[in-house]
Amino acid sequence: MRSVFTRSVCRLIVAAVAFPGSVSEAQSLGENAMAVTNSAIVTVDFVRDVRPILRSRCATCHNEAEPGGGLRLDAAGDVMKGGDNGPAILPGNSGESRLIQAVMQTGDLKMPPPDEAKPLEEAQIAILRRWIDQGAIVPDNESQVIHWAFQKPVRPVVPPVSAADGSDEESSPAQTSKINPIDAFIAQRHYQQHLNALPDAPKHVQLRRVYLDLIGLPPTPEQLQAFLNDGSANAWEKVVDELLASPHYGERWGRHWMDVWRYSDWDGYGTEVRESKPHIWRWRDWIIESLNDDKPYDRMIMEMLAADEIAPNDAPAIRATGYLVRNWYVFNRNTWIDNTVEHTGKAFMGLTFNCARCHDHMYDPISQSEYYQFRAFFEPHDIRTDRLPGQSDVSKDGLVRAFDANAGASTLLFIRGDEKNPLKDKPMSPRVPAALGPSDLAIQPVELPPTAYYPGLQGFVAAETLSSGEAEVQTSSAALAMAQQAVETARSQLLAFRRVTADATAEVRSLEITNSAVLSEADLSAAVQLAESAGKLTEKKMTVASATLDFARARIAADQANYAQPPAANSKDLSLAAGKAERTLTVHQEELNLLTAEQTLLIAKAALPANGSQVDEPKQKAIADAEAAVTAARTAIETAQKAAAEPVEAYTRVTAVYPTTSTGRRSALARWIANRGNPLTARVAINHIWLRHFHQPLVPTVFDFGMNGKPPVHPELLDWLACELMENGWKMKPLHRLMVSSNAYRRASSPSVEDRAVASGNASLDPENRQLWRQNSYRMEAEVVRDATLHVAGQLDKSMSGPDLDPNTGLTVGRRSVYFRTSKEKKMKFLSAFDSPNPVECYQRAESISPQQSLAMSNSPLTLAQSRNVAAKLSEQVAAMPKEDAALQFVTLAFRQILNREPSAAEVTECISFLQQQSDQFSAAGSLTAFSGGTDNLIKPSADAAQRSRENLVHVLFNHNDFVTVR
Amino acid sequence: MNAHENSRSRTPLAMVASRRAFLSDIGMGFTGLALGSMLHRDGVVRADGLQSSGAGIGQAHMRPKAKNVIWIFLVGGMSQMESFDPKPALNKYAGMSVDETPFKSILDSPYLKKNLREFIPGLHHAHPKLFPMQIGHQRRGASGLDISDWWSHLAGVIDDVALVRSMWTTDNNHGAQLQFHTGRHALEGQFPTIGSWVHYGLGSLNDDLPSFCVIGTPIADCCGGLGAHGANYLGPEHAGIQLNVDPHSPLPFATPGSEVYREEQQSEFELLGRLNRLSFVEYPDDPSLTARIKSYELAFRMQSALPNVINFAAETAETQAMYGLTQDPTRTFGQQCLVARRLVESGVRFVQLFHGSNGGAGAWDAHSGLKNSHSTLCAQVDQPIAALLKDLKQRGLLDETLVVIGTEFGRTPGFQNSDGRDHHPYGFSVALAGGGVKGGIAHGATDEIGFHAVEDRHYVTDLHATVLHQLGLDSRRLEIPGRKRLDLDHGTPIHAIL
Repeated sequence: MRSVFTRSVCRLIVAAVAFPGSVSEAQSLGENAMAVTNSAIVTVDFVRDVRPILRSRCATCHNEAEPGGGLRLDAAGDVMKGGDNGPAILPGNSGESRLIQAVMQTGDLKMPPPDEAKPLEEAQIAILRRWIDQGAIVPDNESQVIHWAFQKPVRPVVPPVSAADGSDEESSPAQTSKINPIDAFIAQRHYQQHLNALPDAPKHVQLRRVYLDLIGLPPTPEQLQAFLNDGSANAWEKVVDELLASPHYGERWGRHWMDVWRYSDWDGYGTEVRESKPHIWRWRDWIIESLNDDKPYDRMIMEMLAADEIAPNDAPAIRATGYLVRNWYVFNRNTWIDNTVEHTGKAFMGLTFNCARCHDHMYDPISQSEYYQFRAFFEPHDIRTDRLPGQSDVSKDGLVRAFDANAGASTLLFIRGDEKNPLKDKPMSPRVPAALGPSDLAIQPVELPPTAYYPGLQGFVAAETLSSGEAEVQTSSAALAMAQQAVETARSQLLAFRRVTADATAEVRSLEITNSAVLSEADLSAAVQLAESAGKLTEKKMTVASATLDFARARIAADQANYAQPPAANSKDLSLAAGKAERTLTVHQEELNLLTAEQTLLIAKAALPANGSQVDEPKQKAIADAEAAVTAARTAIETAQKAAAEPVEAYTRVTAVYPTTSTGRRSALARWIANRGNPLTARVAINHIWLRHFHQPLVPTVFDFGMNGKPPVHPELLDWLACELMENGWKMKPLHRLMVSSNAYRRASSPSVEDRAVASGNASLDPENRQLWRQNSYRMEAEVVRDATLHVAGQLDKSMSGPDLDPNTGLTVGRRSVYFRTSKEKKMKFLSAFDSPNPVECYQRAESISPQQSLAMSNSPLTLAQSRNVAAKLSEQVAAMPKEDAALQFVTLAFRQILNREPSAAEVTECISFLQQQSDQFSAAGSLTAFSGGTDNLIKPSADAAQRSRENLVHVLFNHNDFVTVR
Repeated sequence: MNAHENSRSRTPLAMVASRRAFLSDIGMGFTGLALGSMLHRDGVVRADGLQSSGAGIGQAHMRPKAKNVIWIFLVGGMSQMESFDPKPALNKYAGMSVDETPFKSILDSPYLKKNLREFIPGLHHAHPKLFPMQIGHQRRGASGLDISDWWSHLAGVIDDVALVRSMWTTDNNHGAQLQFHTGRHALEGQFPTIGSWVHYGLGSLNDDLPSFCVIGTPIADCCGGLGAHGANYLGPEHAGIQLNVDPHSPLPFATPGSEVYREEQQSEFELLGRLNRLSFVEYPDDPSLTARIKSYELAFRMQSALPNVINFAAETAETQAMYGLTQDPTRTFGQQCLVARRLVESGVRFVQLFHGSNGGAGAWDAHSGLKNSHSTLCAQVDQPIAALLKDLKQRGLLDETLVVIGTEFGRTPGFQNSDGRDHHPYGFSVALAGGGVKGGIAHGATDEIGFHAVEDRHYVTDLHATVLHQLGLDSRRLEIPGRKRLDLDHGTPIHAIL
């Protein structure tokens, strides 16, 4: 039951705010109203304009379950029907319509009830009136009205500059072409809503912003200075291009997309893997590389969902199917596949499929059957780990990937989502929701190349098998030489003993023999016997090693012949030879087993007391067991010999062999998602990109573009950008460039003193900055806090890629945060304090402020160590200066280094006096009290009082609000 | 997600803040100036500043009856009939359909529709076949309150407890967990929780501790997650702070290590405060700056105060035994209750204590095997809760500490899966004690089979209103400009138990 519930609480997360009194909703509606009233073309549309007002402000009390006054205001037909007191609406006459009278609250009937909710906004009432005056047109069949997000985006015309800048004069096309289209759309809104955009942020603020945004690292003081000194017209463009070309771009934006695609390293208790898989970090590397290569987004989707079908021989591409691997779940296949369905819907299309698992979707046109039809695309797939060059043990490393294991797996609808209650006689075939276009996709099974379904066929496997076989032969032959030497030694000792005993006068010489602890001829004879037995064993091991190599050679030859297309003419002969070689190897192995058993028997017998007078049961039993083993080994040899005499073509493959065909379902689905015809894919991607540049999304419900989601704040801009993405080959870098080059991006996030009046005017009209009259400031994401701390100190290890690192080493190992293991239960505490992503679901980061963050910044070994490093480095730069100048210079350099800005005079005064006081305090040590607990730091505080006070100052600046804040 | 959306929204709060509110917003510094420590009780200052209530600094809106709250929440939905509202009729008519009993009309009650706003229509049913009580019950104490035998320790202090047997909510899914704390159906999003309102309204009684602490594993993301102790539009500084019941590590990064001097850190924090205040001049409209300034000040003080407060080992062996620290089933929750007492003793305003979080709907969610699960769970909490009440009383703290024991909804009188009960928002019970609440009384009632709350019905916000009322706060005077609240949000204090 619980799982059913968890699956279905999507509503909770979606946070519908359709409730009277909700400020943000009212504002959003007010804003639509504004657009309508200001626009020259104003046909009010019921579904787009009217219904949201009715649903959010009226339908709480006027719905099917509770039609207040017999009136329903939640669906078109019912609105027109009216209630107990007659019609609520007189088409063409808003003034006489009771609905309008009620909401205007001029008469006795006041709605919504004044003691329960605030009245409708004037703009909302204006929309209702206009709709009624235009004839109160409602759609014939409301359900057929296509929700905005389910219609393909059409590129809107970029508003002309005159509208954009508010001037009356028409501008020339040349001027228009210079305007960033983003700014044109935004400026139009500003004009309509009487907002005045703030000017550009100061240059140092802009540069820090764009560095942190594009590469997740702040600029160095040198980079900042170079930018400030660059007076050229394209100084900004140069910086942007440089950052987009930096490999750190992929690390920064890779982490963003890892949030959206739910990246998780393996999770489980101890070494037991329960969710996701080891080695999935290769998918993380693929993400980073793909972004750095500006791989088109549609191609990225294709590879993540179906690289094994579209690029079956391309191991680097197949890493992308880590997207599917991530959902692997040991306890329940349904949980696994349901997660795949849910998040494929949310991540790529903003569709909450998961709401349709137990029943038809409450808001969107997705039936419960369609949920399971969507699931059917994923039904045949499974996860495997293929060998990679250099490691034959896939538990140690390998390519973990998706493949179709079971083409015939059927998908059954679970009644009310209960997996114990499947609808058995109605298997679901793979189809996409009909509301989004034709639901039957052309699904073509994919014939896989042999190396894809038989990974052992890859060249490196043969090469490694041969070289390890040859090495084994070498090792065995060396061991054999040593064993033979041992036999010689034992024999010569026996001979020596016999000589000594024969020559009683040579008693003294027996010392050599007693040294070797051999006391009797019998013992020495036994030693010879044992050495000879061991020698035979080693000789046999050598034979086995040779036979293993022989078989490997025969198998490789047979494999090449058998899997050639068409199979080679001599494939039968080669198979027979491989079969023979394998069975010969078995005979040798069994013979080896016999020798081992015989040696065990020999040892067991030797362990019996010589006189045999006392019965020693355990030893007797050991002998009996060893004898039985010898007998069994003899039988096994006979069996193996018989088998070896038969000619057979069968031989064991070096790796598992998987189905030769993939169903083609996932590649068909991927093509449908990553397609210009899909109305959602590009919009959802744009929204995610926009969110991360502007720190507020265009569609506030980032994973729900359905009918219960919120409408776009700026639909035209969203669609224009979505078309831009698709028409430019789905490449992201041009979109980043466009966004960060806009004035909207570069403007100040807070007003300078002279702009405060303007800002407060804006704030009264648009307090939540929905129209971007300023840029939004934000707190660095968790990974950026850590990475920037290391980077500022010059301690960031910039090496890329590789296995996931132990998160417990995160405060001392200087790699970027993206490379540390992160999963439900394995994560870095430091990052958790700063709202690091929940690997279960994180389509948008939280941004909290807590004392735990303060403790992490002030007390963690990371910030303490890096403060000491920074102080040491900066002190070198001021070493030659007179003391007074040095203090000032140190403060200045520290501000530049950590906060990317100059200190104010007041700040300098505070800091210099702090340095002095702190230094005095340390000089008067003895009276100071140390903390207890914690761990010792690798970087020790300076023993010099003045230097230690500088370390303190740097530490304070790391804790400064301006460090973690991006303005 | 929705929490983020709201917590990230740029409230214009700071823009409208008065000079006085500004002073309180920006914190008191680290040196403990007299003015600062007065202003630290900033909740009141803020309420005063914004509402001109006439209340003086350091005073509540009304004469307070209680100073602190311990809010215990049993996650998953505890059965009312197997706890505080026994229903002998269930045994009498066990196995019969409601239709066949004299209570047939229950299924026609208008409450059935009115009460309900489902996430998933039709997922949870009324389950008409009646399921007998899974445990005996008896009248306890001088007051003779009838409770189930799974609460035998609580029975010993029942004369200090007020039962409210007529609670109702509207969510029939576990979003009701969130609703229990915010008063709003989860479909409407996240809102400030009762603890955050208390924090916002009153601030702390101790300058060194967070005034809203959370102990135990919070509810899962399915059901509201951190939102159930969040502050939403009040701002993150009013959200509950999660503590580990471990004196060595009450919080991550609780100490910088022995290479750092306390004096060294203190002067660093002082400089930091001065520098951040200089920034405030430049960014007066940045609410996160003020929140961060305050979070540093609190962090500084917390790091020295918390280990001592959390150190339950300092309690006598007798006290530890009373809370059940010496035996397995009660140890964990006993430690948490004991720490809760130590926290309120040290001046923490609101301690929210979760029991039964399991990463999903919650351990109390007894769709099947109710007898087994509820008996086990009651055995974990009964003794510690009783000990908490006794302990508070013997220390003279019960009068000023209001203890609330709640759960998101009740369970169906009918059975589900042969031996369980389904979700039931129509009627359920909570218990209160201390803080000016009358003891030994039961208020409100469900019908004979525990289906509908029929007498003195109370929506969950009535509980919030009761808490605020006892603390001397009027929620209507705490309102944030632009965040209009409904009557239902405010609720009405349950005066009958006060």
